[in-house]
Amino acid sequence: MADLPELLPVETGYKKVLRARLALMWLVLTAGALIAGYALAGSTRFAMLIPAAVLLAGLLAVATVPARIHRRLRYGLSERLLQVVRGWLFHTDTVVPLVRVQHLDVVRGPFDKMFGTATLVLHTAGTHNSTVTVPGLAPERAEAMRDIIRDHVRTDFA
Amino acid sequence: MSAPTSPDEGAVGPPERLHPLFLIKGLRRSLRSLGGAYALIAYLAVSGRWSTAVIAAVAILLLGVGGTILYWSRFQFRVGQDEIRIDSGVVNRRHRSIPFDRIQDVDIVQGPLARVLGLAEVKFETGGGGEGPRSEEGVLHAITLERAEAIRRLVRGRRVSALEPARTAEERPPIYAMSAGRVLLAGTFNFSLAVFAALIGFTQTVGQPLGIDPFQESFWRDLVAASAPLEQFALTHRLAGIAAGIALLLLLGLATGIVRTLLRDYGFRLDGTGTGLRRRRGLLTKTDVTLPVKRAQAAIVASGPVRATFGWSELFLQSLAQEERSRGNHELAPLAQPAEVDAILEEMGWLPIPPAPRWTRVSPAYVWSFVLALSPFLLVVVVQAVTVWPMAVIFSLGLFALVALRALAWRRIAYALDGERLLMRSGWWRRRLVILPKSRIQSIDYTENFVTRRFGTATLQFGVAGGSAATHLIPAIPSAAARALRDDLLGSAP
Repeated sequence: MADLPELLPVETGYKKVLRARLALMWLVLTAGALIAGYALAGSTRFAMLIPAAVLLAGLLAVATVPARIHRRLRYGLSERLLQVVRGWLFHTDTVVPLVRVQHLDVVRGPFDKMFGTATLVLHTAGTHNSTVTVPGLAPERAEAMRDIIRDHVRTDFA
Repeated sequence: MSAPTSPDEGAVGPPERLHPLFLIKGLRRSLRSLGGAYALIAYLAVSGRWSTAVIAAVAILLLGVGGTILYWSRFQFRVGQDEIRIDSGVVNRRHRSIPFDRIQDVDIVQGPLARVLGLAEVKFETGGGGEGPRSEEGVLHAITLERAEAIRRLVRGRRVSALEPARTAEERPPIYAMSAGRVLLAGTFNFSLAVFAALIGFTQTVGQPLGIDPFQESFWRDLVAASAPLEQFALTHRLAGIAAGIALLLLLGLATGIVRTLLRDYGFRLDGTGTGLRRRRGLLTKTDVTLPVKRAQAAIVASGPVRATFGWSELFLQSLAQEERSRGNHELAPLAQPAEVDAILEEMGWLPIPPAPRWTRVSPAYVWSFVLALSPFLLVVVVQAVTVWPMAVIFSLGLFALVALRALAWRRIAYALDGERLLMRSGWWRRRLVILPKSRIQSIDYTENFVTRRFGTATLQFGVAGGSAATHLIPAIPSAAARALRDDLLGSAP
């Protein structure tokens, strides 16, 4: 029996990061829909119908999705393993033995900086799952985890 | 020469150039890379501007020759004490040094022309992979075969001298070899319609200006009309015509498979070198490749329903070492009997495939979830039944065939633990047996979604290094069993 780690939730700030990202994405989509709407049905009064629908869907997504993603996102780090659990509709539960890690990154995008989070990225040699990410960590926590995992990194390939 | 002059010139070795006959090969290479220009020439020629076409052709030829000579004159390599240095490039100079320690092996490839001229292409396998154009990573395009073999001996000597007592004798019988008959047999299993893909590609690029377009009915009509008796014949014997067409298709597919296999696998021979396997094969282009066993990540035994009936299967390795085209999949035996597969595995230091592993089958949810996914098409059948009922019959037969194939595949999907290895069996038409050592598992994904959760099953997906063709997964395992299997596999990780 492998000693699976205790699973922890990520920072609440990650919800804001997700919200910002989603908002940006849906803004672009709405703009696209506006252009498409006018190009297809500019003279009729349906021109605003598609962009309005897209905007509504976007608002709904921004309001509900981040909390759902955050609620289902869990990570755990034990002596030998890193586990990342995410999603319900499409549930994925990834386990990486720490000795298999090739190298590590701590990534902070503009939104991460704004809301005080960081993403830990693990690179394995596998073709499938060659990168495993743990988003929404406090920056200090991400760096601490990186240091813990770094001690386990070793290449056992010829 | 702007080659970097290091203080200890002796350790670096004297500069060498590629063989002058590289010009022939290099010219071919550079002419081949100008694909678009030929279309232009063809267009000019077809549209009657002959003089312009000739000028363009001559210009391209001169450009090719000049470029190749320039490339040759600026290409130098040195074989030093601990490394090989390659200086190349006309405008952007590139000085590459490859330490012997990092060279996994030296591959020697001889095309038909190179064999006539006694030249060979040498590739240094470093296993770096991934970054930039891999083709230019340590390749000496044309040197004499003797020099190539000398370099290989040197590199191998440097690499193994500390580890290995001596190289095994060349005269040892091969672990696996294919007779000409076996190659032909392998060819019959490699049925391929690639010829048609090539033909379609050809007509699309070249055909249009020449007025050949097999996708226009008028093209065939004109062709047939040009021979009136044939037209009569074709119209009266339609059924026979269709049958003949299918037969021709099958025959062509068979012939393509045989020719392709013959070209690639003729004289297939696999030898053990102590730390790796040496594979030689090829009819016109001979390749001589050594596959380091230590870099093997998984072994895959592939077969099909017909081949399996006669006990034939194909063996390849998923390896970190990259090979031309087949990205990390190294063929060890195109057509082998179980005993031969076991012999190759034994040479690699792997255990043979157990005769009757304790297979655990997966849940029938594998079939039922597929039926569920297809169920919307039933609606189509109902609509067709009301409107055009013959279509409904054909369509529902098709659906039934899909489900039947899925059920056949389900009967074969299974996994088993065999000591420190995981065995995975899958597929009915494309049969695979994957032998995956536990220590080669990079990560494990346990995935389920809103459909599989209803059935209480999950999919395990394994991250394995090297290779891109195969994703290793076991579908539709009952979730508790899946978690237990995952824990078991990770439990033995060092």
